[in-house]
Order: sequence, then structure tokens, then C-alpha cells
Amino acid sequence: MKTLKDMLAEARQVIPEQGPAEVEGRLRSPEPPVMIDVRDPDEYRDGHIEEATNISRGFLEFRVAAAAADPATPVVLYCQTGLRSMLAAKALHDLGYRNVVNLQGGYQKWAQSGLPVVKDAALSADQIQRYSRHFLLAQVGEKGQRRLLRSKVLLIGAGGLGSPTALYLAAAGVGTLGLMDGDVVDITNLQRQVLHTTADIGKPKVESGTRMLKALNPDVNVVALPTRITVDNVMEIIRDYDLVVDGSDNFETRYLVNDACYLAGKTNVHGSIFQFEGMATVFAPNAGPCYRCLYPTPPPPGLVPS
Amino acid sequence: MLLGIGEPLVGRLLTYDALGMRFREVRLRRDPNCPLCGTSPTIKDLSIHQAAGGDACEAVPERRGVATAPARAGG
Repeated sequence: MKTLKDMLAEARQVIPEQGPAEVEGRLRSPEPPVMIDVRDPDEYRDGHIEEATNISRGFLEFRVAAAAADPATPVVLYCQTGLRSMLAAKALHDLGYRNVVNLQGGYQKWAQSGLPVVKDAALSADQIQRYSRHFLLAQVGEKGQRRLLRSKVLLIGAGGLGSPTALYLAAAGVGTLGLMDGDVVDITNLQRQVLHTTADIGKPKVESGTRMLKALNPDVNVVALPTRITVDNVMEIIRDYDLVVDGSDNFETRYLVNDACYLAGKTNVHGSIFQFEGMATVFAPNAGPCYRCLYPTPPPPGLVPS
Repeated sequence: MLLGIGEPLVGRLLTYDALGMRFREVRLRRDPNCPLCGTSPTIKDLSIHQAAGGDACEAVPERRGVATAPARAGG
């Protein structure tokens, strides 16, 4: 008859362990391992490693294929202190998974080392219904939805580009949307700025925008910024956001936002239109060009309207 | 990008011609001479934008950029 101690010793013979720092390094490498948190769902919700999928110990053998179809996939398991996951790893090893590592010290040691963790509120029954179409997508799932709910996107301009962007981000459940626009709604806007309605003519765009977005999805926290972006406020404002969407309508702002995002290390999603032409790109600091790489100088005044 | 899936348009410009119903993709590259993100940047803070008017747009006049599509500001 085996004791628990025997079982753990047996597992340790075939399952290597790696400490938090080493695993974190692997997660940031070009080929990160699949992370599986084998604790119970309530433990996972109270705090987990962001990249980890939750498959509790009891379901592991049955559901591992969804996380790692190929038994050669590099996998890292963890639990609270590293014991449950050690036995879980041995079970995966027996199933043919030969590239499984146990996180030494578990989630506890990871968190104590000061490494990043995330905490999620459970999705409500309404949310599970609302985002059901996301759960059907393997690349999104419940984990992806939680990530969207934790995300913060700043929309510069609530006009022609900002309108559809804001609506679709809100619908998708992006948790925080900053809506920045100093203008009021004009009747000429309504031909394309679908975030606003006829009843909103004369009102500040961020006011009608906030109302529309909250009506569409009450999960979204809309931060109304009823001002123009300026050199004095830009760095402070963009700091809190994960992503900036530049839907502004003049060159001065575009250069300002470009520079600020680059200096702050923020990715800038850029869209612009003129009559029947549109263009989109993403300026990711140091990963690709910036706006100035493309357009070192603006066109002469009057040639292209803002 | 929020989900970390797919291929974002980093280094690519997607253009859409609504009349011709055509999408076109243009490869974009970093400009090593860019005053902001090039190898010897001259713009290291936002002070250039403190000047009034459109001066801030022209950090280095007479420099050709890598864009192959004309600039558009509309949004």
C-alpha cells in the first residue's frame, strides 16, 4: 500500500519542477508553455496567474486535451503550494504528456515573489448569456471574456471612427472605455456618427455617447472626458489605459497622440477616412513604425481637409 | 490585441476603397531617421507641441516618410 508521501516521491522522480522566476521567463519567451491551474474554480477566481486556464484536479484527465491537444505540448501545472499539481502532473505524464513541469511552491510562492496575478469576479448568469457568442470561440472563451472585462481602452474622438469602435468594444464587454471628445452633437454628424441620436443634437458627444454605451452594455464603465486632448493633459490621460484608439479629426492631434503614445509605451490603433477611402493600422512602440515614420510632415494646409 | 490573439496591423496599413469595394494592404517599415522612434531621436518629450499652430507636426521638414498612401486626418 502506498502512502501519500510515496505517491509524491514517485511523482517527483518523473516530474521536474521550476520556480516562479523561471516559469515567468518561459511565459514571456516566443514559445510559452500552456499553463494550467488545477485548483478549484473559487480559488482560481480569487487570484490566478493570468495566462493559466483553470482545469480543476478532478477534471484534468478529461479536459486536458482542450488546453493541450498534442501530448508533446510544453505544459506547466500549478496549485496553491505545489502538491496537488505534482500529483496532477504525474497523471498527465501517465497519459503520455512528457513535457510537464510543476511550478515549485505553487501560486503562493509565485504571488509572494511579487509576480503578477489577476483576480476576477465570477461572471454573472446575465454575462454568461450576454457573451455566449464569445464562449463559442476557442480563441476567446470565458478566460478571454474576463480579459476583455479587465481591459481599458481610450477612444480619442467620439465621431465617425469613434462611434462604431465604441459601440463594438462596449458590446464585446471591454470593461472600461474612455470616451474623449470636446464637441457637441450636430445634425450633420448623424449621417455617420451612429453613437448619437437626433434627440442628442446640441448635447456634448460624451454625454450621448455614455448613455448609448451604458444602454447597450451596463457592464462597461464609461469614463466621459468632455475635453479636447492637449499637450497638457495627454500623458496623464493615456497612462491608465491599455490601448489608445485614435479617431481624431485633425493632424495636430494625430501627431500629439502619436508622440505621447510612443513616449508612454502605449499601442495606438490608428484609423482615418476621407470620402470613400479609409485606412487603418496599429502603431506599436518599437514593434513597428510610428505615425511620423509614415508622414514626417502633414500635407500643406487646404490640400486635405481635417 | 486585447485578447492577444490573431495578427494586429503592426507594420501593415489596411486601406479600403468603398467605391471600388477593394481592400489593399501596404507593408510599413520603421524609418531609422524618424525623429521620434528612429535610431537618433530628436523628439524626447512633448515640448515640440507647446508651440502654437501646426509647428509640432513638422519636426524635420523636407524629410520623406515611408508612407505610400496619402495622409488622411478625417475621423
